Amino acid sequence: MNQEMKFKELIAQYSSVAAEDITNDMRFREDLGFSSLDFMSFLGEIEDTFEVELEEEEVLSILTVEEALNLLESLQEA
Amino acid sequence: MKTLYPLTAAQKMHQNWILNYHTQQVSGVSIVASLKAALDFGLLKKCIQMEIKRYGCLRLRVTAPDEKGESEQYLADSDSRDIPLKDLSGMTLMEADDLMQQWAYQTFDGDEIPLCEFCMLKLPEGYEGFFVHMDHRLIDSCGLVIMINDIMQLYTHYRFGSDMPAELADFEQVLKADLKKATNEKRFAKDQKFWSDKLDELGEPLYSDPTGPAVLEKARKKHRNPNLRSADIEKKQLFVAVKDYILEPESAKRLIDFCMNHQLSMTNLLLLGMRTYLSKVNNGQEDISIQNFISRRSTHDEWTSGGSRTIMFPCRTVISPDTDFLSAAYEIQNTQNRIYLHSNYDPALIMEEMQKRYHTPKDTTYESCYLTYQPMPVKMENPYLKDIPQHSKWFANGAATKKLYLTVSHTETGGMNFSFHYQTAAMTEHDAELFYYYMMRLLFTGIEHPDLTVEELMRQV
Repeated sequence: MNQEMKFKELIAQYSSVAAEDITNDMRFREDLGFSSLDFMSFLGEIEDTFEVELEEEEVLSILTVEEALNLLESLQEA
Repeated sequence: MKTLYPLTAAQKMHQNWILNYHTQQVSGVSIVASLKAALDFGLLKKCIQMEIKRYGCLRLRVTAPDEKGESEQYLADSDSRDIPLKDLSGMTLMEADDLMQQWAYQTFDGDEIPLCEFCMLKLPEGYEGFFVHMDHRLIDSCGLVIMINDIMQLYTHYRFGSDMPAELADFEQVLKADLKKATNEKRFAKDQKFWSDKLDELGEPLYSDPTGPAVLEKARKKHRNPNLRSADIEKKQLFVAVKDYILEPESAKRLIDFCMNHQLSMTNLLLLGMRTYLSKVNNGQEDISIQNFISRRSTHDEWTSGGSRTIMFPCRTVISPDTDFLSAAYEIQNTQNRIYLHSNYDPALIMEEMQKRYHTPKDTTYESCYLTYQPMPVKMENPYLKDIPQHSKWFANGAATKKLYLTVSHTETGGMNFSFHYQTAAMTEHDAELFYYYMMRLLFTGIEHPDLTVEELMRQV
């Protein structure tokens, strides 16, 4: 499973949208039904699953799946 | 062989209250769920017994606390108890509610015993259903609502041939995952740093009371410390009274719309209303702390595994009086979002750190008010039952560990219920009424004029 799919599988654990139906332009709150608490818990899961460290300032401005994926990739490259 | 697990932070919170207040009553939770319909009680009994098998947390046992007050937990393999039927149909609904309220005051005394009790009921006016009385170490309110829906889905499956409800998540697996997260050293260090930085930044919190500054003054005299910033906790007279206020659907919609239009969560708007009232009655105090309960249920497994996943963290904000209403709301939202990010932490450690830093006297606190917002209605979401009138009611356990505990929920008709549970030793019904009245005025004036400053708002209402 590639990283993007793994990422979407993780999202699907929090949402009523199935992993295969999640598109990159979807917004966490409006389209995927995340509450603030869901989103923050999800970020903790990203840190554990992908072994990255997120900066609070950066994560609070994330709105879409694509933005989160881009941030993840940039952290892995750094 | 039984596998023993430590208690989670959420369970420890209840355990500590039981030990500190010397009664299990503080950890009780009770609810009646009924329908205006003739139920097949033989079948209902079978469904409740099946639920005890399906919903692992119902079979949880807690061991005796050791000398440090630490208990462990394990799941009993089986629990094949009988579910009695009680006939209250000869009473009025109010008399039946009063009787159930008495049941809700009862305690579970003993170690490694079942911490939940069910009984089926014939109620007045043709309502039939069941009553459940439990210990909060097993379950929180969301978990109870899910359990009730699952029992009724089992019932409609066997009675009407509806789909069998989906399997519930395995409680033990979710518990293991929670305990693993709690012991993740990297995560723990980050959480610890967050809460420590917060105290470095803001210093010692300052108590605020819904009845005004006299309470803090009294504590300062008692402890002979004119600079004391915490006030005493009532530990002897725990009796709690409940006063509910209903906000009508049109007004509730205005609050909901304001939240939607400004990307705010209802919890944060309510926290703003509460903190502004506390500030108003405490001479404009800017530093206000409120304990806010959050339910750690985000993934599907967390939602359907049962268990006690509700935990409280202090929402502390220092808001200058020249801040406008909307900016103040965002300030709270920002604070809360950061708290959510660090909500795996055990809040008992925050209190420990404050006691260490500020030598907070024993049995004193920085918070008088507690908030729970329940977005989930207590309604059986079942297509086979949706047109049948329902009677559901939560019963207070009768012993409060908190001076004022406000639970806000949505009613079936689109309104909102503001349920004030207050220690009668510390507050009167009039105090609760003032709190609700001014909190509503502050909120509705604020959403009408979001550019008004907090100071102007407090002066106007």
